[in-house]
Amino acid sequence: MKKDIPGIRFFVLCTLLVLICGSLSAQVQKTTISGTVYDVQGSAIIGATIKVQNQNTGTTSDVKGQYSLELPQPGTVVLEISYLGYEVQQKKIQVGSGQTAKLDFTLKESAYALDGITISGKTALRSVKEKAFNVQVVDALQLHNTTLDIGHALDRISGVRVRENGGVGSQMNVSLNGFRGKQVRFFIDGIPMDNFGSSFQLNNIPINLAQRIEVYKGVVPVGLGADALGGAVNIITRPQTQNSLEASYSYGSFNTHRFNIYALFTGENGFFAKINAFANYSDNNYKVEVDAADINTGAYYPKQNLERFHNTYHNESIIASVGVRDKWFADELALEWTAGQNYKEIQTGARIVSVFGGWHRRGNILMPAITYRKKNFILENLDFRLNGHYNLGSEQNIDTLHRRYNWFGQYKEYPNAGGERSYSTYKYGNNNGLVVANLNYKLNETHSVALSNTTNTFNRKGSDALDPNNEIYEQPRITLKNISGLGYQFSPGPWNSSLFIKNYYQQNKFAQSYNPSGNYGDVAYRNNTNDFNSVGYGVAVSRFFTENLQVKASFEKSYRMPETGELFGDLINLRGNTDLQPEQSFNYNLGASYWWTFRDHHNINFNTNVFYRDAMDFIRPRLDKNQTMQIMENLGSVINKGLEAEIRYHHLQNIRMGVNITYQDLRNNTRYEQGQTIQSAVYKDRIPNMPFLYGNADATYTFHDIWRKDHQLSIGYNGLYVHAFYLYWPSRGSDKLSIPSQISHDLNVTFTFANKMQWILECKNLLDKKRFDNFSLQKPGRSFSAKIKYTFY
Amino acid sequence: MKTILIMRKQSTYLGLLALFILSLGCDKDDHPITENPDPEQPTAVSKYIISANPVASEGVADYLLTAEDLSEGTVTTEGNGVEQDGTYRYYVTHNNKFFSLLYGQGNPGAVTTYQLDSKGELEKISDFQSETVQAFAPVNDDLLLTKISRSDEAPYAYWYRLDTETNQFVDEGQINTKELAGNGELAFFSWITQVEDKVFLPYMSVKACCNDVFGTSHPDSAWIAVYDYPEMELEKVITDDRTSFIGRYFNSGLTVDEKGDIYAISSGVAMNNGSPSTTKPSAVTRIKRGTTEFDPDYYFDIEAATAGYYITTNTYAGNGQFLVYMQPVAEKGPYATGKSYAILDVYEKAITWISGLPDAKSIVSNTLRSNYVSEDGRTVYIGITTEAGSFVYSVDVDSATATRGLEVKGGVITAINKLESTE
Repeated sequence: MKKDIPGIRFFVLCTLLVLICGSLSAQVQKTTISGTVYDVQGSAIIGATIKVQNQNTGTTSDVKGQYSLELPQPGTVVLEISYLGYEVQQKKIQVGSGQTAKLDFTLKESAYALDGITISGKTALRSVKEKAFNVQVVDALQLHNTTLDIGHALDRISGVRVRENGGVGSQMNVSLNGFRGKQVRFFIDGIPMDNFGSSFQLNNIPINLAQRIEVYKGVVPVGLGADALGGAVNIITRPQTQNSLEASYSYGSFNTHRFNIYALFTGENGFFAKINAFANYSDNNYKVEVDAADINTGAYYPKQNLERFHNTYHNESIIASVGVRDKWFADELALEWTAGQNYKEIQTGARIVSVFGGWHRRGNILMPAITYRKKNFILENLDFRLNGHYNLGSEQNIDTLHRRYNWFGQYKEYPNAGGERSYSTYKYGNNNGLVVANLNYKLNETHSVALSNTTNTFNRKGSDALDPNNEIYEQPRITLKNISGLGYQFSPGPWNSSLFIKNYYQQNKFAQSYNPSGNYGDVAYRNNTNDFNSVGYGVAVSRFFTENLQVKASFEKSYRMPETGELFGDLINLRGNTDLQPEQSFNYNLGASYWWTFRDHHNINFNTNVFYRDAMDFIRPRLDKNQTMQIMENLGSVINKGLEAEIRYHHLQNIRMGVNITYQDLRNNTRYEQGQTIQSAVYKDRIPNMPFLYGNADATYTFHDIWRKDHQLSIGYNGLYVHAFYLYWPSRGSDKLSIPSQISHDLNVTFTFANKMQWILECKNLLDKKRFDNFSLQKPGRSFSAKIKYTFY
Repeated sequence: MKTILIMRKQSTYLGLLALFILSLGCDKDDHPITENPDPEQPTAVSKYIISANPVASEGVADYLLTAEDLSEGTVTTEGNGVEQDGTYRYYVTHNNKFFSLLYGQGNPGAVTTYQLDSKGELEKISDFQSETVQAFAPVNDDLLLTKISRSDEAPYAYWYRLDTETNQFVDEGQINTKELAGNGELAFFSWITQVEDKVFLPYMSVKACCNDVFGTSHPDSAWIAVYDYPEMELEKVITDDRTSFIGRYFNSGLTVDEKGDIYAISSGVAMNNGSPSTTKPSAVTRIKRGTTEFDPDYYFDIEAATAGYYITTNTYAGNGQFLVYMQPVAEKGPYATGKSYAILDVYEKAITWISGLPDAKSIVSNTLRSNYVSEDGRTVYIGITTEAGSFVYSVDVDSATATRGLEVKGGVITAINKLESTE
């Protein structure tokens, strides 16, 4: 067996990329070879490597097994094709100038499945998994034939719980190994998603946008320049390699429509243009079981099955970009414009008992962005990446009906002006700007250095037409955040290690009100500035002990700076707290992965990870003094010990299945509450209202060539289990409130016709079980949806 | 247990795996799944209901504990008590029913009603939905509740009349608090006191705007709005310029004694732009039975009598005697809680410090409006939490001495009530 070295793998992968890029840049007149790579059963092979012998040209086959290769000049070439577990094949072909030749391959399985071929056959997916960090990857391509949004795709990863308040567009909160909310950071292609506003969030981005989703648990690489406390999620969008146009539309229960169009044009001289447009609409009028009160007497009609009546959500977004690739000055230079809007009706408060009929929110996003990438920037082996964006969008909170609603949709109207919760038409913009710069220098095959810097600016400005003279809206709310990181990667032999240090800086400018004269009604504002500066560090190590067994360990001391929303409020339900200090955590991970192939095509992958988190100054919500809003505070500390495990199996292209489970022991580590010298009654108690045992199971079976050669049918199942948990501290009380164990089963059937058209039928929550989330808010019952996706080319 | 934390059979292999991991991971301090361990019940006719709140940063609920005796023993929230949904709760007992009100953050909240069953256990009678209110008090067989605006754009207070027999609202209405105040500010009721067939609503004047919602430019007057009941029509406003407003936010300052005279306690805490602005000291005034004017001949200056203390809140024991919470004037604040205790005798115009209680500096938390007064009015039971723990103290009114009694483990005492069992 040939020794397989991760460093070499990475090098080869990089080289390959450079080769591809090089070949593209050299083109003058298009001479193309395209085709499809099949296995002996006629199923497409994804990720096969196609190389032109003796030339620096190559590519990989896509999700449908297709490839397209542009030759620098016409003539006779030898194509060499390889894929993990298959025999290498070579074919000679003659191509005339400006012609497009078609050449399909059928690969035979290799008798020595892992011999030698791994170097070139590895998918991006697996190479991410092989990083020293504790990272898990969702292959988004496999989910393109579902109606999932990105948020719900995450829900299938061990250690991740997506918590939401209801149906389409409802507030979503991702918890990762016990950290939640803003403690987990989100990225698109390495760019922080902090500034995107409500029009571009996990739960309204279709899965088709993504190629894969990487979930970093606990320890976050320097390249993602962020102050994540407990991990990060990086959404990798689809690579821009060839012209394509596809559209999908789905319709489902609760009058839910989802539309997505993706178009990519690659022109002469490396020019490209891309449009990704998507829209979601839902009435979200699913039924919930509630105790509905009489609007006048207050008497409850218990356990009524009622429709949500003020729950409509829709959003429309378009991301358009133009740019050039493979120029002498840039591998990629792109200008992007994201424009979108959303509308959301607010049906309930934090608890299902408070119900609204008129309160709603609007938001929009208007965000220009720039991307620049260059390998061998100034120096050989120095890679540079720069991203910047500025969000000109705004958010508005509209509460102008002075009414009191009940769950039957009845209301009492009050004569004077007012709102259901608070009279408001407040509209504000956060004027977020972001610049991310990354430098990566590869000294040689075993040593490389990375430097990254992320600068974030925030300047909230807003006003309320109902209260135009309120001076408080004129006061500064300005934040500057800068995270810089320096990382060193050392990959000798089977080892892969990464050592890094990060500097966290934040400056907040805000106003405090005071009375300058002591006379009645005098209010003036005095500007304050807060500065934080903290240093974090970490190390991640992995080693292949055999070809199939990898062990990983990582540690990080991480910080998270308070979010602008936490500092200045969202002016809806969150009151600002300018006194917030950064929160910090020591994160430890130890994990192992094992890949096993038996009887040629039966592949098993086993992953397990144990983790330990020791967090201090946790930023947590509590109710404010007026008890009308939440406020974030540095409260206490927690310790989380946990275990997660996953087994996946696949056989050829026919069967894929997996099961994962997470157990986390999240304990209150605040021994003495403020002002107390006796030990807290809930010291070491399990943190309430958090799922602590949950798992997923999924299985897909695909019938290839079901009635014609390129027609296929696949049937998929996904099951979710969440163990019961208590709403309040487990150790207290005997007559307690809890959120029951939940099981749901989803089924989907996909027909694919000639790789062009897909029909998808999906049923979620097949058994119509009641499902609950945050503070026992009920989620939709059984729902059906149908999706059609057409790939034009 | 409302939902029993037991695996369902259909959870298949995933469940089995889960159970396996759970069995590995469960710690001893996970609350065990047991039935209420109370095998035998004495033939109790009455029980004290102690509301306790574990001190914690999040996930906090109140627990209702029961005890037969407040003078000794121990109760705990650990694995014991009826969990109350929601953090901010207030309790009131009326017609032998115990009402647990959620302060619903400006939204309607469920009010849960309990009575004591023949075994002496709390039995939930019903839920009903109530508005979030800032004042509530028994009036006849009703509970009268008011939700009061703190915004001058919507200068209305709403009142609701709850029938405690049916546990339903039977009437409601609206009061224009800007018109009521008549000084450009809003009237904000501090509390509700029934006086014969009327209700008296003392109020403070508040700006309700301009980032100084509870500030006022009228800090040196007291007002009481007098309404007939149950019509809730305004009869008149009684004013007095000798004190600042009567009562405080969420605190009663008006009491009718056994003779029918009305005593008004002012804390003297009116503010403006975050600073104390009243020139009037904390004081007691009186309205004589049958009249609707302050008695010009009665005035008791608390700050003078105690050499620098003012009353933050009070509990009426009987016979003209109050248990009062005191704080040094130097630490004056509209929401401060006094931690020194005294017996105030409004007949004698005398104030006596209570002995036998923890030092004010060592008190972490104490019960405020929900103290329990014995039937004879001679003993007041209060809850005090110090660094050493939470205890019920019984205060002998006549001797102004206190004795430490029942210990409440795993929580601060927020209210003490009493119910008789129903047959």
